[in-house]
Amino acid sequence: MKFIKVTSLFLLFNALIPKLATAQSLTPSVFGGQIADFSLKNVDNLAISLSQFKDAKGFIIVFTCNHCPFAKLYSQRYNDLNKKYQPLGVPLIAINSMDLLVYEEESFEGMQEKAQSEKFNFPYLQDANQSVGKNFNAEHTPQAYVIWKENGSWVVKYSGSVDDDGEHPKLATPFIALAVNDLLQNKPVTKPNTESFGCRIFYRK
Amino acid sequence: MIKRIAILSLLLALNSLLSAQYNTLWIPDTLSGKNFNLIIKDTFAQMRTGNQTITGGINNNKFWGPTMFFNKGDTVRMNVKNKLNDSTTLHWHGMHLPAVMDGGPHQVIPPGTTWQPYWKVANNASTYWYHPHLHEMTLQQITKGIGGFIIVRDAQEAALKLPRTYGVDDIPLALTSRSYTSANVFTITDNKTISEYGDYMLVNGTPNPQVSLPKQYVRLRILNAEIERGYNLGFSDNRTFYLITNDQGLINLPLAVTRVPIMVGERVEILVNLGGDAVGSTLDLKAYNSGQAFGFPGAEPNQSGLNGSILNNKDFPILRINVTATTANPITSVPTTLANNVYWTAADATVAKTVSVTRGTNIGLAEFSFDNAAFKLTTINKTVKLNDIEKWTIKNDNIFGHSFHIHDVQFKIVDRNGSATAVGAYESGWKDNVYLVRGESVTFVAKFDDYADAVHPYMYHCHFSGHEDGGMMGQFVVTSTTGVQDIIQQNTGFSLFPNPVSDRLFFKFENAETEVYYVTIRDAVGRAVMMLPQPEIENGINTASLAKGIYFVQMMDKKTKSVVTQKFVKQ
Repeated sequence: MKFIKVTSLFLLFNALIPKLATAQSLTPSVFGGQIADFSLKNVDNLAISLSQFKDAKGFIIVFTCNHCPFAKLYSQRYNDLNKKYQPLGVPLIAINSMDLLVYEEESFEGMQEKAQSEKFNFPYLQDANQSVGKNFNAEHTPQAYVIWKENGSWVVKYSGSVDDDGEHPKLATPFIALAVNDLLQNKPVTKPNTESFGCRIFYRK
Repeated sequence: MIKRIAILSLLLALNSLLSAQYNTLWIPDTLSGKNFNLIIKDTFAQMRTGNQTITGGINNNKFWGPTMFFNKGDTVRMNVKNKLNDSTTLHWHGMHLPAVMDGGPHQVIPPGTTWQPYWKVANNASTYWYHPHLHEMTLQQITKGIGGFIIVRDAQEAALKLPRTYGVDDIPLALTSRSYTSANVFTITDNKTISEYGDYMLVNGTPNPQVSLPKQYVRLRILNAEIERGYNLGFSDNRTFYLITNDQGLINLPLAVTRVPIMVGERVEILVNLGGDAVGSTLDLKAYNSGQAFGFPGAEPNQSGLNGSILNNKDFPILRINVTATTANPITSVPTTLANNVYWTAADATVAKTVSVTRGTNIGLAEFSFDNAAFKLTTINKTVKLNDIEKWTIKNDNIFGHSFHIHDVQFKIVDRNGSATAVGAYESGWKDNVYLVRGESVTFVAKFDDYADAVHPYMYHCHFSGHEDGGMMGQFVVTSTTGVQDIIQQNTGFSLFPNPVSDRLFFKFENAETEVYYVTIRDAVGRAVMMLPQPEIENGINTASLAKGIYFVQMMDKKTKSVVTQKFVKQ
């Protein structure tokens, strides 16, 4: 693949820089893929897994982070989505899969501060070993998924961006909300894939 | 100095522009003095209607960075903080400086790290620029808009009656183009299906730009900041204008032209007379790219697909100029002479080198190479002796044109295809970037003075970002014939004081002759927080920006290139 990054620092630093690969070399999870349950630490220090949500029909899973300017635009939208859809059986879960060694701002303490200052009404989970991000093949922050329970499995029904206008929520087409609305009405998702964009998530090799 | 012109207005203009035909040209903010702070970061901009586009900005900017003003003779100190979600480098294109300060592919700045190069400005007054140069990532990071202008001033240029009121009669123009996906994401060529040529012009990041310029002589500092496209510049009424510089400074005499070609990486400064234009009238700066021979980047006939663009092989507008009232103390004429450069000739060269453009090993990004060898970070392709004057012939017996750039030095083009008279008058001055016409050779002469370093190389490469990332790059070292050191075991141990430290951290060497080549400071988990090439160690290291905690100093000694690590505590 063409843009796999091989950061090779000459001589002195060669062994000291973490080797990173961009998620662009991965195939993003697409409609119909299955997602295994996971257990990650929430900002309240308690572990969260999908199976804890006994009544959930589905989930809105959002990969986000602390520092990315584009991801920062969406906090209120996540609160609004969770407020609306959690009572309907579709809670929102935010996951931070950023590499901690590369990005200091992505520390667990930083996540706790962000969740508190922006009054997150949803879990904000640290994917410290990046395994969940890799499982979803999440490429960017923000990147959103809707997964739905089918025959006891979690199936990807939507992947892409939260909406199509980061700066102007009122002007945006709310892709996530439209997908969840379709699913709640037992209809196929009209637009199951959009392009995600934002800061890239780098995965440690 | 005009500070922070229109950071907001870029967004406002873009929004309003969606309904209007033109957007007000964004003039980059300015930074001046001797200490420069640059923070490179991910951001976004409203480039088109609909969603924002993810871009890379410097300091408060959304696309393209501030213009830095240097005075020749000053020692300038850079404080470059990488807040991208990725490693990067920042190369000072055209600057004559030590290789370790150059910002090429070896001077990697990991995310979160501060890099502090410094150098004495030896360049003549001209327009230079800075941009990322991380191998295999240059295309992607330049596409995001990371870069900016450097304007060097000197006494010779200052003595001339030239327009130099930045943003008023002296306007920087970074020309590039981009295409977008349906979600307004910049497309990036894969050299297989996605084109390297953008469909939509951007000048300083502004789409469909317009600028108000006074009714008098104005100076346009034009940079081809493209991924690959060349521009054959002219004005919509075919008026004569005056070329006054090449990449590396003033040419001897102003050159009256109606067209001037500019390839990726090249800069020209031109004077255009608006004194005869009515206030309220308009004029377009245009690219006259139709009918160029195959090999001219952007002359391909196809409008879409690989190598395609709706701007290909056509004349298209770059910038709408609206003529406004004359300012106080306008420039009303072109100086008769500009400089008294004495150029190297082919006869001055004592060493001749050849570089051949060859096909790479793969299709796609690795389509081209030099001398049948794709770039390797660990291979030194050429060695130059300090103070030698060399003649380099670049042979392009291949399928396309290229834009060749060499770091560190300025050069004089002495022949094209073996003919001295075939060198264009428009490229007769000091340069650092030259167009390689398809099927032709070009020869230049340069003196490699001041900075020898047998370890850290400089680059030469095609400035088409995709070609460079694909391996069309080589590296050379400049070596000193004097002072050859016996590499014997030397004691390069040192201690740090005061420790714990709150402000400046000093080194005490066990062997007083130890010279420092590079210092890297890492935090307790190994993250590089400061990278200091050849720091002025006797002044200590300023640790004020570091958080409290344990840090490690890795010091590479200049003679043996061995590394010694010591720990200190910041309190």
